[in-house]
Amino acid sequence: MIKKRTLAVAITSAALATGAMAQDLHFPIGEGPFSWDWLEEFENLDLSGQTVTITGPWLGGEQDSIRRVLAYFEDATGANVDYSGSDSFEQQIQVDTQAGSPPNMAIFPQPGLAEDLARQDLLVPLGSDAADWVRENFSDGDGWADLGTFENSSGEEDFYGVMYRVDLKSLVWYVPDNFEDYGYEVPTSMEEMIALSDQMVADGETPWTIGLGSGAATGWPGTDWIEDLMLRLHEPEVYDGWVTNDIPFNDPRVIEAIELFGEFARNPDYVAGGPQAVATTDFRDAPQALFDIPPRAFMHRQANFIPAFFPDDVVVGEDVDFFYMPSYDGKDLGDPVLSAGTMMAITRDSNATRALMQFLQTPLAHELWMAQGEFLTVHLGANTEAYASDVLRRQGEILLGADTVRFDASDMMPAAIGAGTFWTGMVDFVGGASAQEIADDIQRSWDDL
Amino acid sequence: MINAQRFSVSSGIKHLIVLAFVVLWTLPTAGLLVSSVRDADQLIVSGWWTALVATERNAAHRTGTADSQVEVDNQFRIDGEFFREDSGRTVVSWGTGGRNLDEFQAGDTWVQDDGSRLTVNEDGSYVWLSEQPFEHARGIRLFYIAAIPPRFTMANYERVLAAEGIGRAFVNSVTVTLPATFIPILIAAFAAYALSWMNFWGRSFFLAAIVGLLVVPLQMALIPVLSTYNWLGQTWVGSLGWEPRSYLGVWLAHTGFGLPLAVYLLRNYMAGLPREIMESARMDGATHFKIFITIVLPLSVPALASFAIFQFLWVWNDLLVAIVFLGQGEGRTVLTAQLRELLGSRGDNWEILTSGAFVTMIVPLLVFISMQRYFVRGMLAGSVKGG
Repeated sequence: MIKKRTLAVAITSAALATGAMAQDLHFPIGEGPFSWDWLEEFENLDLSGQTVTITGPWLGGEQDSIRRVLAYFEDATGANVDYSGSDSFEQQIQVDTQAGSPPNMAIFPQPGLAEDLARQDLLVPLGSDAADWVRENFSDGDGWADLGTFENSSGEEDFYGVMYRVDLKSLVWYVPDNFEDYGYEVPTSMEEMIALSDQMVADGETPWTIGLGSGAATGWPGTDWIEDLMLRLHEPEVYDGWVTNDIPFNDPRVIEAIELFGEFARNPDYVAGGPQAVATTDFRDAPQALFDIPPRAFMHRQANFIPAFFPDDVVVGEDVDFFYMPSYDGKDLGDPVLSAGTMMAITRDSNATRALMQFLQTPLAHELWMAQGEFLTVHLGANTEAYASDVLRRQGEILLGADTVRFDASDMMPAAIGAGTFWTGMVDFVGGASAQEIADDIQRSWDDL
Repeated sequence: MINAQRFSVSSGIKHLIVLAFVVLWTLPTAGLLVSSVRDADQLIVSGWWTALVATERNAAHRTGTADSQVEVDNQFRIDGEFFREDSGRTVVSWGTGGRNLDEFQAGDTWVQDDGSRLTVNEDGSYVWLSEQPFEHARGIRLFYIAAIPPRFTMANYERVLAAEGIGRAFVNSVTVTLPATFIPILIAAFAAYALSWMNFWGRSFFLAAIVGLLVVPLQMALIPVLSTYNWLGQTWVGSLGWEPRSYLGVWLAHTGFGLPLAVYLLRNYMAGLPREIMESARMDGATHFKIFITIVLPLSVPALASFAIFQFLWVWNDLLVAIVFLGQGEGRTVLTAQLRELLGSRGDNWEILTSGAFVTMIVPLLVFISMQRYFVRGMLAGSVKGG
């Protein structure tokens, strides 16, 4: 047994060594649009020999990006930061925390999951100072502070989660060349967008491509549509009430939004492949319709991360572009924006972990990823010059310039709804069930909780 | 005569059914293999059964601007290429809009209203000639149907093995699987001998308890077992000092979950061995250990091999135990887990998923093909000779 044990130790330490392989710093310190001053206070901190483990949902290129950011913390403090990403993060973090071997820090893609863990006292509260910091330093800070505030097992509220990396969902993607060929203009109001869709139908074309498929999470792109439409039909207070179920799911105002989604997704003239294709098309394949020749569709509503699934040779900003999903001119609701994002929380406390949390709150930590692309922030201190491209900068401006920012409702609803019946309800709705039926069903499942 | 005829009809049907099953099982594998060596561009436009014929793909190209014109013999010309050099692609037909791709054939010339002449050749090169200098600041778009010749490549495999982490995961899978196959066999062989040939108090009770364990769903036991393991390693008095979630843990877990079936199978087999051999060996003064090593073990090879194959395939294909007991990160993801990650991050890249899947399948395929003999024999051995 001894032999095997030493072997196991040898193998795991070999694995750790490759994980922590010293990385060259991606951007030279002291150059470029970065707030390097923030590094100083960490340089005085000696954390050598300490290891901070982080798990999160980022894989592939995103995993490379976060490691490059963390390398600056390692370099300054001597600590060792071990990030590992997983596509099954949601299950992994539950296993880790339940079995008593959590990482130091976890990056939650859904606040609802963090809330569940906080309720079981599996998260470490960050204190009201951290909450105040978020209020002061984030655009629309009160909202972000509330988002990270959860109750523990004895019902006391505390602040647990800080947002790092925000997604912008209210975008419509299109191919400028196709718009140019047909003489279409980018719409600036919901009325214009619907008129444009009708114009495309009149020209014998198909305006939209929508795909709800996403493996076990099939249906979520539909929930994003509903959320975006909710913000454009009703006051933000209605949205907030809907999220907490103070306004029931089968309220006429919610049903109005579902039905409006139906006017797009269930209209055979409006969607590529017809309504049947909406439920069966994978969300990653849906944008392909824009790039086909002749185009199978002209517009695709999806969050800022979708270019990762565009064909390799497509250049964002040239071959494909986006516009803000406009609001109704006829309604006085301003320009609402639907967002999502990842939340950092501490699952096992240590000095080095607290220091890393501090580091990730500095403008520098945001800028270092902004400059690598695929990263938006609401941090007011972060220099927008650092954005890797104009495309990102424009998206960042939409986020900062919005009149109302609301977080993805399905991510905040209890998992049984937001990652359960709401998703399946979308598939049923596109499949032909009425808005009233699915709303009643979802409300019933909420009552059963 | 009648008998012979009936025989041939029934065996004909039997053969047909067998053939149908063979096709049913091999066709997806063959498709996967073919897809995994195809060019990514072709894979997204056509299925694997068309791999040997050229595929057609619609595409568009924006011509050069006025800046790229040259003056030759009082004519202004803009040259360009649709394809990269040596791509082997050809133009089937082309047109001026996405809806009229067959307006012109390759080699045809489009005479525009301003008198300029644009010719697209079959190899994808085009020439745009005009008497007057060009003035446009933005090229016009030409639409065409390109024929892509069949192309097979190992690049997909190179990519998944290195960049996508399948190579590392393969090593991890082997690291998990070999000990997790060997340890339970070792323990189970000893136990099976004891349960079938040694007399001790409570023997049938132990046997019943082990058989009873077969019905415990391992999904129920995962988290409690993991937390016990972590507790033993970290907090227990005189803690054993092992890492939470390590290879040792996954070996032990697979051993534990595999043991009941292993003990049961091997005991049934060993109990069926002729009593006379054991008794004469005992009479000659052989100890139990001697009998086990020299007589029972060699005689039990078919059963051992059969269980080894079962356990090997089960551990190799296992996802659940591995992700719970090993966790995530490069050093820890086994093939099944890595494939799952790829499905999330590369769900639209079929060339990556198919080659990754094939790497995952190759070991079970080899094991099955090379040890098929034992597979059938051992299965019969464990069941028929029950005692």
